[in-house]
Amino acid sequence: MIGRGAVDLSVELPRGLRLDNPILVASGTFGYGVEYSEVVDIQRLGAICCKGTTLRPRVGNITPRVTETPAGMLNSIGLQNPGVDAVVRKYGPTWQGWHVPVIVNVAGESIDDYVEVARRLDGMPGVAGIELNISCPNVGRGGLQFAIDAEAAGAVTAAVRRATELPLLVKLSPNVADVRPIARAIEAAGADAITAINTLSGIAVGPGRRRPLLGNVYGGLSGPAIKPVALRIVYEVAQVVDIPIIAIGGVAELGDVLDYLAVGAIGVQVGTVLFADPTLPVRLIDELADECRRLGLNSYLPLVGTALPKRSSPMSAPSSKGVEYRP
Amino acid sequence: MVGASAGATGSLPRLARLPETGPSAPRVAPPALLEAAVVTHGLIAPEYWRLVLDAPAIARTVEPGQFAMLTVARGEESWPVLPRPMAIYGWDRAGGRIEIVYRVVGEGTRRLTRWSCGDRIVTVGPLGRGFVLLPAAQRIVLLGRGIGTCSLTALAGVAAARGIAVHALVSARHSDALVGGEAYRAAGAVEVREVVDTDGSSGVGPVGAWLAENCRTGVDQIYACGSDRLLRLALEMARATGTGVQVSLEAHMACGLGFCHGCATGHPGLVEESPLVCRDGPVFRHLPSAPVA
Repeated sequence: MIGRGAVDLSVELPRGLRLDNPILVASGTFGYGVEYSEVVDIQRLGAICCKGTTLRPRVGNITPRVTETPAGMLNSIGLQNPGVDAVVRKYGPTWQGWHVPVIVNVAGESIDDYVEVARRLDGMPGVAGIELNISCPNVGRGGLQFAIDAEAAGAVTAAVRRATELPLLVKLSPNVADVRPIARAIEAAGADAITAINTLSGIAVGPGRRRPLLGNVYGGLSGPAIKPVALRIVYEVAQVVDIPIIAIGGVAELGDVLDYLAVGAIGVQVGTVLFADPTLPVRLIDELADECRRLGLNSYLPLVGTALPKRSSPMSAPSSKGVEYRP
Repeated sequence: MVGASAGATGSLPRLARLPETGPSAPRVAPPALLEAAVVTHGLIAPEYWRLVLDAPAIARTVEPGQFAMLTVARGEESWPVLPRPMAIYGWDRAGGRIEIVYRVVGEGTRRLTRWSCGDRIVTVGPLGRGFVLLPAAQRIVLLGRGIGTCSLTALAGVAAARGIAVHALVSARHSDALVGGEAYRAAGAVEVREVVDTDGSSGVGPVGAWLAENCRTGVDQIYACGSDRLLRLALEMARATGTGVQVSLEAHMACGLGFCHGCATGHPGLVEESPLVCRDGPVFRHLPSAPVA
């Protein structure tokens, strides 16, 4: 029997973004929060990252847009959304009344796009923060180009930083050879936190093997299949930046949460598994508290970074042992 | 609307959402999430399974043509990652039960067969906008093929209870794949015509003649699911006679609630997002005046 000792799962992110607990829901898998509000106690969540939002409305990609893969799924929705003004008008008043913070995921095709969306969100009641989606693999122009180059990632982060006082999270792409220079550039440009990772670019073959399955050919792979990749990236990034990291990638049970904490994440986002198990994030909050009690902890923070190599000095280079693909 | 694993039906031209309000708008209640206990689960024909779930919150408000998302993965399994959309074949409001008939077409539905009595399946429903019976309707035709018939069976029951004459066509590849005929008869359909590919009775000629004969004597609405060929016949008839057509589409889905936008009906080149099968459908209409491509 687990004791009933008080456990405080709350965590303070920079710029006053306080989360009741480190279990968030990932962009694209929870809509604007309202859709699940009938069936899940969403106010208990650490935060909600809403669907990717762009300056102007976007029509999604050609169908089919989703398909299942081993322990995962591919999606190529294509950032379908009604545009930032419509999002704020439609959901802002609802979000304002919520206890749970809503972080708006922002996507764009140019630095000007990102800046303008951020400017319109700045000071908007109900918006608790921005997650910069510089890594969506499903749109032809923009998005990913900012995530694969340290200079571009730093430039877009810095430009958005100047446009808003909101807490700024930047979401990393796994579709790069070495993520560490990019993470460092994002930190140097003034990001408050890093979220990692976005989906991995992939394809599936269609019926009859005559063409790729997805209408857009390429899709983003998510779900438990990508967890080892996400773990590796969080592990690498945690050794080169000091800002908090929120991990994303196939969280399906408490063990996954604990693994991500161990490699340096201060929180996790639950994504793809939500579709089959909408109450999972709320259960994870309770299970994490139980785990802390079992360990005699009154906070989960001692569980963060336990599997990271000890830093001998702040300047020492991180180990890249095991990362053998790198030249 | 049938199990997503059956593969997506191609999008059809001039699809229109059913109205949001008024007598020809479908009734839509907020969905419930529950762990529904399996009451009955077994094979009813080769490849076809019947699943009865104890799901009072869904049974209370479900309307014909709506569906539910069923989580197939068990316990700690991480596959299938996505839940499966399933048409609700029938229900017992007082008893709090819903009935689903599905065909095993892939790994997801094969794994679904492993659930047994007493197991609890995470179920979200009722979802989508279902079929609408027009207030003045006296006679309707239902066209279903294969597992697609399972979207239409509940409509027959509600229609017959209102005194509407139901003429149902059940089409399949072969006689073992004919499902829904019994449900139609039990619901009080005045005519159940079962046709199969093996003897040619399901061909466009005989089915077209049957439909034309029905429409000649006056049909208020045609309802279709599971076959583009049947739908095309219905649309031809609609153009000739002015009869309205409602069709239930199927699609691969992730959320079932309308926010992931995975199941857009999808016409390339549209300037606005096309309707979503899960939220705007699965039932759509074809206006009698709409030109048919």
